[in-house]
Amino acid sequence: MATLDPTPKSFAEKLQSVPKPVLYLVLFLLAALPLFFPVKLPNKPIDASIDFYAHLMQLPEGSKVLISSDWTNSTRGESMGEMEALLRILMRKGIKFVVYTTADPQAPQVARDTIRKIADEEGKAGGYRYKPFEDYVILGYYPNGEGTTSAINNKFLSICEGKKDWPENSPPRDVLQSPVLQGIKSVSDFKYLIMVTASSTNTVVLERVTKAPLMFMVTGVMVPENTTYYASGQLKGLCGGVKGVYDLETLMEDGLNVEGPHKVLSEKYTDVIPGFPGKQNAGKGNAYYPSLHFALFLLILAVITGNVGMFLSKRKGA
Amino acid sequence: MELLAQLAPKTFWNAPNGSSELWVKIIIAFFIGIGFFIGMMNVPTQMRRPIVFTVTFVSGLFYFLFWIYPAPINKAPEDAPRNTLEAFSFWISDSQAVVADLTNIIASFLIGLGIYSLLRVHLGKIKKQQRDWQFSVVLIVSMLAMILFGYVDFYMRLDPANSKMAGSGYVGWTFWQFGRDLLFNGLLQNMDAGMFSIVAFYILSAAYRAFRARSIEATILLVTALVVMLSLMGLVEFYWAQGVDSAHLSNNFKLDNVARWLRGNVQTPAIRGIDFGVGIGLLAMGVRLWLNLEKTGSAS
Repeated sequence: MATLDPTPKSFAEKLQSVPKPVLYLVLFLLAALPLFFPVKLPNKPIDASIDFYAHLMQLPEGSKVLISSDWTNSTRGESMGEMEALLRILMRKGIKFVVYTTADPQAPQVARDTIRKIADEEGKAGGYRYKPFEDYVILGYYPNGEGTTSAINNKFLSICEGKKDWPENSPPRDVLQSPVLQGIKSVSDFKYLIMVTASSTNTVVLERVTKAPLMFMVTGVMVPENTTYYASGQLKGLCGGVKGVYDLETLMEDGLNVEGPHKVLSEKYTDVIPGFPGKQNAGKGNAYYPSLHFALFLLILAVITGNVGMFLSKRKGA
Repeated sequence: MELLAQLAPKTFWNAPNGSSELWVKIIIAFFIGIGFFIGMMNVPTQMRRPIVFTVTFVSGLFYFLFWIYPAPINKAPEDAPRNTLEAFSFWISDSQAVVADLTNIIASFLIGLGIYSLLRVHLGKIKKQQRDWQFSVVLIVSMLAMILFGYVDFYMRLDPANSKMAGSGYVGWTFWQFGRDLLFNGLLQNMDAGMFSIVAFYILSAAYRAFRARSIEATILLVTALVVMLSLMGLVEFYWAQGVDSAHLSNNFKLDNVARWLRGNVQTPAIRGIDFGVGIGLLAMGVRLWLNLEKTGSAS
């Protein structure tokens, strides 16, 4: 017959054995409540995000960039925020773009929906509404990332052959007829190859694309690995995770080296790089950063609690 | 060699999109492909290894030469080679795009292979009414529904009369568009996001139970991780920096500066070292596979 252990747990044991459901409930509350009660937290953008923003803002109107959109909704908390911030900047600057993907068959549709959403948002706010085929073109999905990425570097137009995209209110047309691809002969005709990725396609691009400057938008867990490429100069800018999105949104709101109550200073850039004050700059970064903030707080607290419990137990046992 | 020549201008190896010539060529290629598969399946066992070795070696050799051989710079389509060396350089550069297309086609076969494998396993499970066979029914019905709604929606959008469907909103949508939207955006995408978000709970639980300062190494790791995590918290960083004079020595101990130092002087060199080791290992493995020296997993 089973008996209950009458010995009550010591304080140290209690600290080391907080029930999982309690931890999960606290995490759920800390992550969910800021979504309903938004708070504005102070932020100091990191160098990698500042570089990313500054390079984009220095592009002249009418420039073209190539976007590798290798994410789906499994990482939308980070990747969708990155994509939205990127699109807002590109659309406000009048930069045209070409989107392709090598990571996931779902990715082109997810990118298409996100672009349409931001284009509608900009149009409603009184700005220019980007039109498919005229201002951006989506090449679709390529199952073999290695070969396709080599072809992008070697002969960009070869990956466009036979591909079609939907112009607005029209059946699909050959992408080579799109105004976006006029004047493009090589990947070097793009100002940047910007990769929004949640998978290992980042290294494939780093290894194979040598003719266009690269900038990456990656998930939080990919930041350490990609920081090595940013530090070496292979990446001109790096936006990582929710913090990176929040950095971009902060820069879009306050600008860089712009006088104001929340002046963002940079040691690297002496020029004033304006933001887009008065526009819809707050996106998923502003929405999700408080959740990340409080979740990190809980993680730190949990680790400290467990360790304090362990030390108290050791002391008692010694 | 015309097979691997640049396909624009048009050659025997391609045809205009949507033309009957293209369809005839696709059908011929399909039957040749089926014949090839049947032939490969009937090859004697002792011949399979040399075939695999030859295909692997030739494929590897192509990319080896592509990367190692001097590539033409700013080559225009009308440029002609001046000698054999340049001719080879032009050929390999032009061929790579076609090889990339071939690899895309081969990779696409994996989707068909995946569907075949999925159907074989789960239909068998349903037929034998094995444990949890109901989940197999859900899986197959979901897959077929997604394929059906996806393709019907796609073909409807090809019709110029339905062009308004491509715009924003639900203009001109029918049952098929709403069905596709429900399945893709309403269910699949949200389940995708939901599954991934669960990871946060496991990370918290694992960190709480396993992240303990049991040794010097673990303590260093723990403290470093805490500093980096704290640096990601804007509120902590803000208050930590209050009152610090940027010209004073204490400026070095501002959270963002400590985190930057850790990233630049500890994390980055460590990852570079690991990546370098992994890279050398991959190179060695690649050479072994290319030259058929790797025996692991092959039939003895």
